Amino acid sequence: MATASPSVFLLMVNGQVESAQFPEYDDLYCKYCFVYGQDWDPTAGLEEGISQITSKSQDVRQALVWNFPIDVTFKSTNPYGWPQIVLSVYGPDVFGNDVVRGYGAVHVPFSPGRHKRTIPMFVPESTSKLQKFTSWFMGRRPEYTDPKVVAQGEGREAPRKAVFSVHGLTSPRALALVHIKGT
Amino acid sequence: MVSEKSHRGNRQEPVQEEPKTHLLSMTVRRGPRSLPPIPSTSRTGFAEFSMRGRMREKLQAARSKAESALLQEIPTPRPRRLRSPSKKELETEFGTEPGKEVERTQQEVDSQSYSRVKFRDSARKIKPKPQVPPGFPSAEEAYNFFTFNFDPEPEGSEEKPKARHRAGTNQEEEEGEEEPPAQGGGKEMDEEELLNGDDAEDFLLGLDHMADDFVSVRPADYESIHDRLQMEREMLFIPSRQTVPTYKKLPENVQPRFLEDEGLYTGVRPEVARTNQNIMENRLLMQDPERRWFGDDGRILALPNPIKPFPSRPPVLTQEQSSKAELETLYKKAVKYVHSSQHVIRSGDPPGNFQLDIDISGLIFTHHPCFSREHVLAAKLAQLYDQYLARHQRNKAKFLTDKLQALRNAVQTGLYPEKPHQSLDTIQKTINEYKSEIRQTRKFRDAEQEKDRTLLKTIIKVWKEMKSLREFQRFTNTPLKLVLRKEKADQKADEEAYEAEIQAEISELLEEHTEEYAQKMEEYRTSLHQWKAWRKAQRAKKKKRKQAAEEHPDDEIAEPYPEEDLVKPSPPEPTDRAVIEQEVRKRAAQSRRRPWEPTLVPELSLAGSVTPNDQCPRAEVSRREDVKKRSVYLKVLFNNKEVSRTVSRPLGADFRVHFGQIFNLQIVNWPESLTLQVYETIGHSSPTLLAEVFLPIPETTVVTGRAPTEEVEFSSNQHVTLDHEGVGSGVPFSFEADGSNQLTLMTSGKVSHSVAWAIGENGIPLIPPLSQQNIGFWSALKKADAISSIGTSGLTDMKKLAKWAAESKLDPNDPNNAPLMQLISVATSGESYVPDFFRLEQLQQEFNFVSDQELNRSKRFRLLHLRSQEVPEFRNYKQVPVYDREIMEKVFQDYEKRLRDRNVIETKEHIDTHRAIVAKYLQQVRESVINRFLIAKQYFLLADMIVEEEVPNISILGLSLFKLAEQKRPLRPRRKGRKKVTAQNLSDGDIKLLVNIVRAYDIPVRKPAVSKFQQPSRSSRMFSEKHAASPSTYSPTHNTDYPLGQVLVRPFVEVSFQRTVCHTTTAEGPNPSWNEELELPFRAPNGDYSTASLQSVKDVVFINIFDEVLHDVLEDDRERGSGIHTRIERHWLGCVKIPFSTIYFQARIDGTFKIDIPPVLLGYSKERNMILERGFDSVGSLSEGSYITLFITIEPQLVPGESIREKFESQEDEKLLQATEKFQAECALKFPNRQCLTTVIDISGTTVFITRYLKPLNPPQELLNVYPNNLQATAELVARYVSLIPFLPDTVSFGGICDLWSTSDQFLDLLAGDEEEHAVLLCNYFLSLGKKAWLLMGNAIPEGPTAYVLTWEHGRYLIWNPCSGHSYGQFDIFCPLKNVGCLIGPDNIWFNIQRYDSPPRINFDVTRPKLWKSFFSRSLPYPGLSSVQPEELIYQRSDKAAAAELQDRIEKILKEKIMDWRPRHLTRWNRYCTSTLRHFLPLLEKSQGEDVEDDHRAELLKQLGDYRFSGFPLHMPYSEVKPLIDAVYGTGVHNIDVPNVEFALAVYIHPYPKNVLSVWIYVASLIRNR
Repeated sequence: MATASPSVFLLMVNGQVESAQFPEYDDLYCKYCFVYGQDWDPTAGLEEGISQITSKSQDVRQALVWNFPIDVTFKSTNPYGWPQIVLSVYGPDVFGNDVVRGYGAVHVPFSPGRHKRTIPMFVPESTSKLQKFTSWFMGRRPEYTDPKVVAQGEGREAPRKAVFSVHGLTSPRALALVHIKGT
Repeated sequence: MVSEKSHRGNRQEPVQEEPKTHLLSMTVRRGPRSLPPIPSTSRTGFAEFSMRGRMREKLQAARSKAESALLQEIPTPRPRRLRSPSKKELETEFGTEPGKEVERTQQEVDSQSYSRVKFRDSARKIKPKPQVPPGFPSAEEAYNFFTFNFDPEPEGSEEKPKARHRAGTNQEEEEGEEEPPAQGGGKEMDEEELLNGDDAEDFLLGLDHMADDFVSVRPADYESIHDRLQMEREMLFIPSRQTVPTYKKLPENVQPRFLEDEGLYTGVRPEVARTNQNIMENRLLMQDPERRWFGDDGRILALPNPIKPFPSRPPVLTQEQSSKAELETLYKKAVKYVHSSQHVIRSGDPPGNFQLDIDISGLIFTHHPCFSREHVLAAKLAQLYDQYLARHQRNKAKFLTDKLQALRNAVQTGLYPEKPHQSLDTIQKTINEYKSEIRQTRKFRDAEQEKDRTLLKTIIKVWKEMKSLREFQRFTNTPLKLVLRKEKADQKADEEAYEAEIQAEISELLEEHTEEYAQKMEEYRTSLHQWKAWRKAQRAKKKKRKQAAEEHPDDEIAEPYPEEDLVKPSPPEPTDRAVIEQEVRKRAAQSRRRPWEPTLVPELSLAGSVTPNDQCPRAEVSRREDVKKRSVYLKVLFNNKEVSRTVSRPLGADFRVHFGQIFNLQIVNWPESLTLQVYETIGHSSPTLLAEVFLPIPETTVVTGRAPTEEVEFSSNQHVTLDHEGVGSGVPFSFEADGSNQLTLMTSGKVSHSVAWAIGENGIPLIPPLSQQNIGFWSALKKADAISSIGTSGLTDMKKLAKWAAESKLDPNDPNNAPLMQLISVATSGESYVPDFFRLEQLQQEFNFVSDQELNRSKRFRLLHLRSQEVPEFRNYKQVPVYDREIMEKVFQDYEKRLRDRNVIETKEHIDTHRAIVAKYLQQVRESVINRFLIAKQYFLLADMIVEEEVPNISILGLSLFKLAEQKRPLRPRRKGRKKVTAQNLSDGDIKLLVNIVRAYDIPVRKPAVSKFQQPSRSSRMFSEKHAASPSTYSPTHNTDYPLGQVLVRPFVEVSFQRTVCHTTTAEGPNPSWNEELELPFRAPNGDYSTASLQSVKDVVFINIFDEVLHDVLEDDRERGSGIHTRIERHWLGCVKIPFSTIYFQARIDGTFKIDIPPVLLGYSKERNMILERGFDSVGSLSEGSYITLFITIEPQLVPGESIREKFESQEDEKLLQATEKFQAECALKFPNRQCLTTVIDISGTTVFITRYLKPLNPPQELLNVYPNNLQATAELVARYVSLIPFLPDTVSFGGICDLWSTSDQFLDLLAGDEEEHAVLLCNYFLSLGKKAWLLMGNAIPEGPTAYVLTWEHGRYLIWNPCSGHSYGQFDIFCPLKNVGCLIGPDNIWFNIQRYDSPPRINFDVTRPKLWKSFFSRSLPYPGLSSVQPEELIYQRSDKAAAAELQDRIEKILKEKIMDWRPRHLTRWNRYCTSTLRHFLPLLEKSQGEDVEDDHRAELLKQLGDYRFSGFPLHMPYSEVKPLIDAVYGTGVHNIDVPNVEFALAVYIHPYPKNVLSVWIYVASLIRNR
């Protein structure tokens, strides 16, 4: 192994954000991004993406299908900080303001092969009834400063004051095809 | 043999055939049998030979037997096939109920025979019966046998069900069939013979007879039940249910071997009923004679029970309907969870009705400090007597003597037996055993007797001692009296017995010895024999060798003797009887009562009288008094809680205390411990705890009335020395006069008590139910689970655990019990090893895949470890390499160097030693502060994580309503508040620094190249105008030099930050307006964007103003028309420096700043008052200089860390602290935006009242000496001195948001501090100069909340910026101080309660309470707080030599840097110019950068006339080299790339006291004019 190029292993993630079940909402789009540790570095592909807006299917399933592709390659020297996909789903509220409908995160699968993951999504809740009303009225729901916090450990203790509501148990599915290739 | 074979062959066949051929079974069956299929020659020979004879026999027999025999024979093959297997099968299946089975088989037999009879009958009916002699198969029969198919036979219908019946059981049958070959053998043989006979008959007769002749008529088949059974018995094997004797199951002459007894774990055998086991054993024995099914212990081999206690699979449901039932929801009532802890009696039980009765009857001291010597002896005597009594009661010696006697008798009888029925061998064996036992017993007895004797002796000795003591002291303390009763025995008989005993012993010993002798003799003989043999061999060898040596003399040397010489054994000594006798007698005399001595029986009585007090000496009397004063009581502690105590009883003269109290403890908790505490009270003093006695908790069977009184001993380790006769406790004393033989006794005693469970009114024992359950219902469970049966308390009690283990018969070899057994063995052996540590991860060692050393050696691991520890060097280290070999050693070098240098002062970086020390010290303080605030740092607020709209209030709602009406695009847009971003989610490139450069005022303008002979007139300057930076411009003569249309200056602004440079477009004129926004990226150190890291960013934003100068480089005038050739040069005019930390904390900086313009700016001048319209402008402003309007912010807005609102410990008065809180709260209520400071945190982290910092302190004498008469000048000098101390924000130096105030001496030692340290020092200097000075807390730009100094001079207030040393008048509009919060004097604090807070608009008269709210007032007078400042500041004179050295080094470094920055060009240094500049710098320092320009210019021009010169001196306080380098870089001097440019650089350092250094750097570029 040449000393010039330090040895790394590669993690290739191919997949797609398939669909979601948000029984209450329609016309949603989703954003994905990756959270990874210090020893990780994206080498190819897109780390972030915003999907198209999708409408509910008209059948009983009422699935919101995006089939939004994910394709990214990481290189790393350390399994610590294994990448996590952070998904956040947004959609218009009654007044047409874009509000967040769910946050969720899941680790990129650890073994190669086809995997299907279902992530429960949640949103932070307003701290008081009044705020709930005003946020509904103004179309400014509580949001994370950064969706990435859902995949991080820091500051978890802070929202202890806050209430989280799980907006139903809604589930976008991320299908990830992971190839791990060591060099 | 043969038949056996054939039989076997036949047996196999039907298995295959049956399904096809059962209709023809009869014939077919017979076919194969009758044909001679076996090629064996012997068989055929045999068949031929015996055919006739046998046939004859058969016929004979057939005739005689007639019908019955026929019936039996002919169908045999058939029914046998049918019946026997089914029977077999039934047997195997219903082996357990053979009674039934017998019946059943009989029935079956009957039915079959019946059917057959029927068939026969029918056959008979159909065929007319030819008269064939009975026994002969008729011709037809014979013919049919071979040819005919019996298809229409009704047999078929009968056979079918049978066959079907068989089909089901076929498999088993076949398997089963083979089982009993042995027993069936005999019978088979017969059958075979019969068959053969038949075959032969058929064969022979088949030709002679007609087919009709073979039809025979037979009577109905019948066999008697008896015959049937008989036959069955022969054929079948019914295993017996009797136990099989072990010898049968084992090979001959093998003793059963029990592994369990040998200590091996065998496991639990599955439970099988004994009868079944017997049956199986019998069967196996019959079937498999090799006994391989039996283990060594004679039992069937078995694996441990494989059956799980609980089924793991649901039962398979047979019916379909059940699937539905399975899905049905079952309602089960919620079961209340019962707390199973044993500590608490269950909540479900009736509470509180349990009772423990503790009966404390009394207390006896076996030693007490008040014991007199006599008491000690008495106690000893009593103890010995007790011992004696106990021994006497047991009388072990007697018992052993009897045993010895018995053994001897046994040996006697054994040696001369009356009836020698046993072999001599065994007798000898037993006798030997006896003898060894006799030896043993004798030894024991001797020991016992000796003990008895010594005990008696000791008793007598103690008694004698006591008597002598009583005599000596002439009084008696104890009523003890020992009487020795002599029991006279018959001396003669005694003597005889004694002698007999001795003789017996002697003879035994003798015997032993002879035995031993014989043994030894034997040994001797063998060894002698060996020796002789060896000797012979040796001799032979020698001889040989001699011969050999003669032949080869050399060999001798080479042959060493490997075997050592055997020593000739010596014969053992025979023992002498006399010697033995002597020995025995001696021993007897020692241990045994001699026959002539009487038996002594001691008797202890309390009959003695105690000497009354008046006859005793004083010391004894006082002792008795002391005893009387003492009283004792006991406390009863239940589960470590005191529940009751006895009455206090006085100590008796005999040191016995009688209580006789019974405590009834109504308990709720399960008893864990029961303790008695013995307290002693002396007189009226408080009771002292003597000792604790732990009582055992009674068994549940122990109830009141049945409990025995027990004595528990206790002892105390207290040391008591008394001044009277009492011997004390823990104090050595002696009975001897000379003080030898010292004794040390501790207070000890016995408590007699009994503890039992109470019995209720109706006779029910009041015992907690758990224990009751333990007895009954739980007993089964108890065996299984140690913890539930003993209870948690039992677990700590090892004895209990051991007891439980013994009771439940734990298998010590069961691996499941291994840990428990080990625990118990440890506990019971007494040497319990309780580790005095607690191990959290016991298994850690198991999982350590490499040793720690190896792990530490791994570079990768080390790197990861350091990173996770957040060591600054590695905090944001990315991509830690995978392999060790890829990690460069140099990665650690910096870190290791830092570790190494922690205590070593390194001068290279810091150049001068003092600062190096300071840097180290600062680093240490910083580390400690960081540790202190570590907890607070990791605190995230909700707002950090979640963006949420605030709760709207009326005003916001109103505003938002108002906003609806607002214009969408207002004409004058205002800055809106932005979203704040927490630092944590940021990465490189996310943060940008926005610098909006609006405009500038009064930029210096170019001076036209003046003639070198121009001499400015100094006279035109007024001395008072010292603030004027460029007074020469007043001279109107220059004005003429400017052509009117010429651009005076073309300034542009360049912002450099973190070596990124951005610049604006070029504007024109001295008052340019750019209005441009520059965007600079921000990179945090190591990519760490945490708040803590951002706070300590030391980078500075340099805003440099340049003049863009175009030089015509066109060489040839002719080309002027066609091309423009100009060179752009930039000349530095000045700069504004804003530390990043200020921007970070202020979030935005908006305002007009004074441009720091070098005192000498060659080629430029301030065109003041030149232009008419500016004329009036300058009148109002006292301050001179150029200004720039800026707006700086960070995008996105970062949230600065919250300062820690933590209470620190304080040495201030609590009242004062309360007052400060109140004061601050009041102020904050009125003016929340105004800064109010009452307490601050000092460097050690304690809260200090702020006025303690202010105190007159002497400035350096050196400074005072400069202008001894000019106070104003001195003040300025002092201010300058203070400003020369480098500025370092607390956040940088200490990390975390905490404003630490160091005292002035600390400040001067550290030589770094922020505004408040500067302000405090300056204020203290002013106070010492006799000025009226206050510390002014307020907001300024750009610093934000800061501290200034306010002085009152000559009727006006001056505001001093301590960091720059500038002073401003109250009404100076360019004063950076924007609002005033409070004033702090040495003895009071005044809060600004005026309407306005901007300095020009307020009144600084603090005496007016309406304008200033004072902290100390009439209600709270100033308590006269002492200052935290030192009495006096001591200044060391600076080392001039060190400064000079530093100066050289800095110059060298800067020169190197400039050359580095110009990698593409040659950098020439003009030495002449450099030396000139170096000459100027001290002048500049002396004049503080003023008034020198013209001289300077003239000088320069004189010397460097040929050069176009641009350059300037920079002045800075010295802290480190880096800021100097940055400043030089910021000027951009090195950017000139004119080919023939030359540079000059001079550095001057002026040392001030206390190592405060003023650095001047003169940097210039020269271009030769042509």
